[in-house]
Amino acid sequence: MKSKIWSWLVVFVAIAAILWIASAMTDPEEGAQLDFSSLAWLVFSLLAFAAIYVVYFMTRDSEAWVVGTRQVVMMAIGAALYGIFAWLFNASVIVVPSVSLVSIRPAIAIPVLFGYAFGPVVGFFTGAVGNILGDFLSGWGVYPVWDVGNGLIGLVAGFVMLFPDKKKSVNFLTWLIVALIALAVVFIIIEPEVPVWGEMTDQSGFIWVMIIAGVFAILARFLGERLGAETAAINLWGALGIIVGIGFAAFADIWINGYTFLVAMVGEFVPAAGPNIINAAILAPILLLAYNAVTARTGR
Amino acid sequence: MLVAWKYKERGTFYQSFDPRARLIFILVFLFTIINFWDIRYMLCFFAIAVLQYASSRVTFRESRGAWFILAPVLVLLTLFTFLTGRSGEGVYDTKTLITEWHIFKFTIPVMVENTTFAIAQLIRLFSMALVAVSIPYTLDPSQYGVTFRGLGLPDKFAYAMDLAFRLVPTLGRDFSTTYDAQRARGYEMEKLKGGILAQIRKIAPLLVPVVIQSIVNGEEVIDAMDLRAFGVGPRTWLPELTYRKRDKILIALSILLLVGSYTLSLAGYGKFWIPEIIMSLAR
Repeated sequence: MKSKIWSWLVVFVAIAAILWIASAMTDPEEGAQLDFSSLAWLVFSLLAFAAIYVVYFMTRDSEAWVVGTRQVVMMAIGAALYGIFAWLFNASVIVVPSVSLVSIRPAIAIPVLFGYAFGPVVGFFTGAVGNILGDFLSGWGVYPVWDVGNGLIGLVAGFVMLFPDKKKSVNFLTWLIVALIALAVVFIIIEPEVPVWGEMTDQSGFIWVMIIAGVFAILARFLGERLGAETAAINLWGALGIIVGIGFAAFADIWINGYTFLVAMVGEFVPAAGPNIINAAILAPILLLAYNAVTARTGR
Repeated sequence: MLVAWKYKERGTFYQSFDPRARLIFILVFLFTIINFWDIRYMLCFFAIAVLQYASSRVTFRESRGAWFILAPVLVLLTLFTFLTGRSGEGVYDTKTLITEWHIFKFTIPVMVENTTFAIAQLIRLFSMALVAVSIPYTLDPSQYGVTFRGLGLPDKFAYAMDLAFRLVPTLGRDFSTTYDAQRARGYEMEKLKGGILAQIRKIAPLLVPVVIQSIVNGEEVIDAMDLRAFGVGPRTWLPELTYRKRDKILIALSILLLVGSYTLSLAGYGKFWIPEIIMSLAR
């Protein structure tokens, strides 16, 4: 325990030393103009882990967080599968119109399935380590926020196991969507004019966009339930996971790569999240159906 | 049957380092190179990557399979970035024209900025590829788990990482087998035309069998591990890793590289820089 405390102390002192040396190297006449974009990935990764820890702490008694032999093996299989399929489709960056290396990934269904079927820990490991493996095999190096973002996809998909049954989890999501849209509408009503590209712009038109999007999401929930509670649950939790994971990575790139908000959302989030939600909505239920058939046959 | 990485004990100076020290160095290299876009800094990293690859003594004959796949993708990616200006957002904001290419009906502006960016990106990608490619050929697969454990991961996560790395070639083989079986039934992945829905429909016959078969095979691994009381108590590892003086020096150099790179990056050094020779091409 003591050695861990000393280790963390060394890390903090090292970070402080770096900042002090960097400030000493900048021109005193211009003032300390430190460029923190190189540390932004670390800050965002820590924020993500802090948020995950808060959720874990609030639900730590749930069996969803148990990591036994099954979870260890499925983590490994999920990560290896996602890595291989991600590598296979990484060359598709050429066809996706985006500002960075965004690729079409049918394999996004893998972290969604593994998170949904085996829990949030398995989902996070599958997404994060699988993305690391895929980028490694492609020779692209390591992009920490995108690794964490892919991990969040599987983690959020696994949150379904925190609920006693699938229907309750879908009900929770439905109320969450309604609450978030209501909050967004209230904010827009309170402050309809916001600065966009340096000019005050009336955003009140977005009220109707939010309401229509919410209606579609709720309709999709009920349509999915007609196909089965499992189908509705994996689609909704998978979609939420993709929105959270890709949204996190795209948002972090505003600070890491110096993108504007619009560039990050339109240039990264939309081309990544849009096709991935469609991929997951079709492939994840198919995989789940096949998995349920196998478990029914083997009894495991 | 398991398929292994093409690892070989070469008795080289590079392989004499503790795998933990090597992995720390590689991770530091990858985390620091992404901070820079200055070609001069990139060339320093490229030199380090070449030195590391040369010292690993991995021959071209052994690794040509990996390079035949990697190199064209990296070059194509860079070329596409050059032609479209993608990924340059946030790196440069000026546009200085050199010339214009007219390809079919398209007019492609060749600028000082996107030319420099493409060169920097190519150097960066190949530096990272050189570092990454040497790992499976020089790191003993039987040491994956103990290496991750030695880096501070808990037992279960270290073992999961070990298993994930070991399973990649096996699942790659299963993927290849499934692909051949589906092709024998008239499946053609090359013809991925059509919209996104058509493409998903074509991917499903490949994705679903591979994923489900892997999960089914995983049950045998779970049984084997349970029978050996996995997870009951703290795990012991057969290989024992010990740091030697050279490993400590390598780790110290890695920390120096990390601290130095982030200090320079925080102070604003290493940002996008256009060489005079490229600027002189501008109209």
